[in-house]
Amino acid sequence: MKRRSIVALCVTAVLAAAIAATTSGATQKATGNSITVWLQTDAQSGWPDVVAAANQKFQSDHPGWTANVQYQSWGDHLQKLDATLAAGGGNGPDVVEMGDTETTKYMAAGAFAPLTKSQFDNSATWLGSLAKSGTYSGKLYAVPYYAGSRVVTYRTDLFKKAGIKVPATLAQYQADAKKLLAKNNKKGFSPVYIAGTDWYVAMSFVFDYGGGIATRVSGQWKGLLASKNSIAGLTAYKNFFTAASRASKTTDETHPNPYDVYAQGQVASMLGPSWFSCCVGKKYTGSTAQFVMPGHVKGQAMPGFLGGSDLAVPVTSSNKALAADWIADFTSTSSERALQKKGNIPNATNLLGNTVNERAASRSWFVPTAKHWVDVENGNILRNMLAQILTGKLSIKQAAQSASDNIASVLNQP
Amino acid sequence: METSRRRRRAWGRAGRGSVPYLLIAPVVAVIAVILGYPLYYLVRISLQQYGLFELIQHKGIAIGLRNYHSVLHDQVFWHTLVRTVVFTAANVSLTMVIGMLLALLLTVVSAPVRVLLSSGLVLVWSMPVVVAVQVWYWMTNYENGVLNYVLTKLGIGDYSQHDWYGTPFSQLSMVTLLIVWGALPFVVITLYAGLAQVPGDLLEAAAVDGAAPWRAFRDITVPLLKPILLILTSLSIIWDFGVFTQPYLLIGQSKITSGNYLMSIYLFEEGYFKTDYGRGAAISLLMLVIVAVLSVVYVRRMVRIGVSE
Amino acid sequence: MRVRRLGWDAIGIAVFVVMVFPVFWMISTAFKQDDQIISLTPTWIPLHPTIAHFTNAIHRPYFWQDVENSLIIVCVTVAISIVLAFLAAVALARYGFSGRKLFVLLVIGIQMLPQAGLIIPLYVVLAKYHQVNALSGVVITYLTFVLPFSVWTLRGFLLGIPKELEEAAMVDGSTRLGVFMKILLPLMGPGLVATSVFAFITTWNEYIFARVLLNDQSKQTVTVWLSYFYGTSRHTDWGALMAASTLTAIPVVVFFLLVQRKIAFGLTAGAVRG
Repeated sequence: MKRRSIVALCVTAVLAAAIAATTSGATQKATGNSITVWLQTDAQSGWPDVVAAANQKFQSDHPGWTANVQYQSWGDHLQKLDATLAAGGGNGPDVVEMGDTETTKYMAAGAFAPLTKSQFDNSATWLGSLAKSGTYSGKLYAVPYYAGSRVVTYRTDLFKKAGIKVPATLAQYQADAKKLLAKNNKKGFSPVYIAGTDWYVAMSFVFDYGGGIATRVSGQWKGLLASKNSIAGLTAYKNFFTAASRASKTTDETHPNPYDVYAQGQVASMLGPSWFSCCVGKKYTGSTAQFVMPGHVKGQAMPGFLGGSDLAVPVTSSNKALAADWIADFTSTSSERALQKKGNIPNATNLLGNTVNERAASRSWFVPTAKHWVDVENGNILRNMLAQILTGKLSIKQAAQSASDNIASVLNQP
Repeated sequence: METSRRRRRAWGRAGRGSVPYLLIAPVVAVIAVILGYPLYYLVRISLQQYGLFELIQHKGIAIGLRNYHSVLHDQVFWHTLVRTVVFTAANVSLTMVIGMLLALLLTVVSAPVRVLLSSGLVLVWSMPVVVAVQVWYWMTNYENGVLNYVLTKLGIGDYSQHDWYGTPFSQLSMVTLLIVWGALPFVVITLYAGLAQVPGDLLEAAAVDGAAPWRAFRDITVPLLKPILLILTSLSIIWDFGVFTQPYLLIGQSKITSGNYLMSIYLFEEGYFKTDYGRGAAISLLMLVIVAVLSVVYVRRMVRIGVSE
Repeated sequence: MRVRRLGWDAIGIAVFVVMVFPVFWMISTAFKQDDQIISLTPTWIPLHPTIAHFTNAIHRPYFWQDVENSLIIVCVTVAISIVLAFLAAVALARYGFSGRKLFVLLVIGIQMLPQAGLIIPLYVVLAKYHQVNALSGVVITYLTFVLPFSVWTLRGFLLGIPKELEEAAMVDGSTRLGVFMKILLPLMGPGLVATSVFAFITTWNEYIFARVLLNDQSKQTVTVWLSYFYGTSRHTDWGALMAASTLTAIPVVVFFLLVQRKIAFGLTAGAVRG
C-alpha cells in the first residue's frame, strides 16, 4: 500500500499548486501592459545587457508598459510562430526575430505588419543584403538587427612553425596548406578544415569567381550554377578542399563542429563564423587569431556569406505600434554599438569598424530572396551537389547542371 | 460445468445497464473535448489548399481530393511506405523477441541482480530521447566514436574513421539499434509484470505434475500473457511506424533525402517544412489509415479476447 | 540450482552492462574535464572528476522552477490518467455493452494519429480557452495522449487475471465493490505500476507540445529547459548538457525505485521455486 500513499501524496501535494498555477496562467493572455518579444538564445547568452538596456528605454518611453522577452531556439521557433499565426487573436509575440534567410517566405505570405523605414536609426545605410531580406514589394516588413560574416580562425603557433604568414591570395593559401601538412603529418590533420558539404564556404568560392546561385530574369528564376564562372568557382573549391581539408566529404559543418576538431589539435585553420573563437579549447585560446579569407585575386577578400537576423512584427499582434517602438529602441545607434562591442556586425555601413569580422563583410554574398529559397535549403540541393562533386560521383559540370535546374524549378513554384 | 456457465452468464448480464457507460465516460469526455476540433480541422484542411498564406488568413481554398491525389501519385510516397514497413517489421520483431527473453531472464536471476537489471532498464528509459540520440551519435561517430575505438582495439578489423552513416541502410540500422534499445525497457517491464501476474500455484501444480518448464511456459504462461503480448506488439507497430525524433536527429537534417525517408519524416518534410499544411494533413490521415491496416490483425485478435461468453 | 542461478546472474549482469553503457557514458561525461570530452581517445572513467558541469547546469536560469513545473504536470497527469484509465479498462474487460467496439476503435485510433499534425490545431483550440502558456493546458494535452495507451495496457493486464477468482469471490458473497478492492486491485498492482511508470516517463520526457504551449521560461518544463543547452546555433556545452540530462533523469529513477517492489512482490509471492 506504499504505492497508494505515494500517489496520494503526489496528488494532494501538487493539486493545490496546480490550481494556483492554472489560475495565474490563465490570465497570462496579453493584458494591456506588456508586449511579448521573441529573441533567439544567442541574445540571452551573448548580450543580455543590450536587451536589458532596450527594455529600460522602452519602459521609460511608455510608462506602465514592460517588454517580456522570451528566448527561442533556431530549431523550432518557426513551428511555434506558425502555431501562433494560426491561432491569431493576440496570442503570439509582438516582436519576432527571424533569420535573414527565413523572412522572404513569411513576408510573401503576409505574416508581418508593414513598418515605416524612417522610424529606425541609420535606415538609409543599412547593410545591403539585410535590408533586402526585410523588404518585399517595396515595403519594409523586417528591420535589420545584426549580422555575422565568415573569417578564418587559425593557430598562430602552427603557422609560425611552418614559416608562413597570413596568405594574400587563394593560391598562396593553398601552397601554405601543403607546408602545414608537411609539418603536421598526423592522421586526420587538416591544414584548413572545411566540411565537405559546407555550402556557405563553397558558394563563397563560386561568388569569388563571378558566379552565382540563381537570378531573376523577367519574373522567372534562372539557375546560375552551371555558368562558366560558377564552374570555375566550384573547380577551385574542389581543388582547395582536396589539398587542404581532411574532413568528411559527405557530412556537414555541424557533424562534427569544426571548433571541436580544432580543440583536439587536428586543425591549423578553419573557415567559419567569427564566434568560432569562443570554443577552441583552453589549450589553444592563447595561440588563436583570425584573418579575412583571401580571394583568388590579390587584394580582394573572398566574399563571405552575410548571415544575420531581422526583427518583425507579426500581423496577429495587438500592439503593433509599441512593438515597432521596441524594435527602434533595440536597433538604435547606441544599441548597435553595444552589439558591435560583443563581436557582432552592426546593421549599417556607417557604423562598421575595423575588426576582422567587419572587414570580411566588405565583400559578401547572399542567397536569392525568393519565397521558396527555404525549400532549396531544406531539400539539401546544394549539399548533395557538393557531396557528388567531392566524391567524384558526378563531374562538376553534371552535378552543377542538375542542381541548377533543380533550384530553378523549386524557386519557380507558385 | 453447468453451474459455472450459469454463473458466468450472471456476471455478464449484470454488465448491462449504465455502469460501463459511467466507467468510460470520463475518458471519452477528455478525448472528445480536446481532440474533437483538431481532428475535424485535419480532415477539413486536407481537402483544401492550405499553405502559410491561408494559415494566416484562417481560410483555405477548397480543392477536393487533390492533396490526396498528389500524395498517392508521388513515387517517393510509395518507396517511403515500403521502406517504413520493412523498418517497422525489423524494429518490432527485434523488440518483442529480445524483450521476451529479457523478461524471462528477470524471472530467473537472483533478487539483487533483478533490481540491478530493472533499475538499469529504467535508467535507459528515463533518458530523454534527444539526449539519447546525442550520446548515441557520439558513440558511433567516425571521428572519435567509442564504437570504432572498441571494435578496432578488439581486433575485429580496422574501424577507425569508419562512417556508420554513409549509406541509407547503415543509417537506418543505427536508428533501429537506438530505437530497440530505447523500447526494450517498456516491453521488458510490462512483460515482467505480466509474468508476475501468472498465479504461482498454477505453475507449481504443473511442476508437481512433472511438466517440463518449457511446456509450462507454452501451455500456461503464454496464453495468460497473450493479451499483453498482443497489446505490446500492436503498440510497437503503431509507434515504430510513426517514429520521428530518433531518425530525424540521428541521421541529421542535412543528410535526410528521399532515399532514406521514413513516413513521419516524409510527412514533416513534405507537409510542414514546406508549410503545405493541407498536404501534411492528407499525409497524416493516410498514415492513420495505413497503420490501422497494418495492425488490424493484432487489434482484431485483441478485441476478440474478452468478448467471449 | 545455485550454480544455474549464478549462471543466469552472470548473463544478467552482462546484459546490464551492455544496455546501460550509453547512460554510463552520459553520466561519466558529465564529470569529465572539457578536453577529455572531445579528445580522440575516449576516457572511460574520469580520474580527475569535476562537478563544474553540474553547478553550471543548476545555476542556469529557471532550473528549480522548471523542475517544479515538470513534477506538477507529471504527477497530476499520471494520477488522473491512471484512475480514469483503470475505470475504462474495467468496463472494457469485464462488461459487454453496445458501443464497446466503437470505444475500442476510438482508443486505438487516437494512438495512430501522427502527433506532428496535431500541434497547430491543438494550439488553436487551447488558445481559445486561455490554456496556452498554462500548466493546465499541458496537463490536458498530455491526458489525451496518455489515456489511450493506459486504457489499452490496463485492459490487457485485466484480461490476464482469470475470471474464476472474481466469480469465486462473488459466490462467496462479497459485493461487486468488494471484489474490486480485495481481489482485482491487489492483483493489478504490477500492471498499474508498469502503466504509471510509462505514463510518468512519457510525460516527463515530452518535448514538442511543452515547447509550443509554454512560452514563459518560468512556466516551462525541465525538458524544455534542457533544450536551451543544445538549441543554440552557437557552442554546445557538452559537459553541461550531459550533467543537465543526468539531473533530469533522476526523478524518474527515484519514482521507479519507490514502486518497483510492487512488481517483484507479485512474482516472489507466487513462485516458491528452488
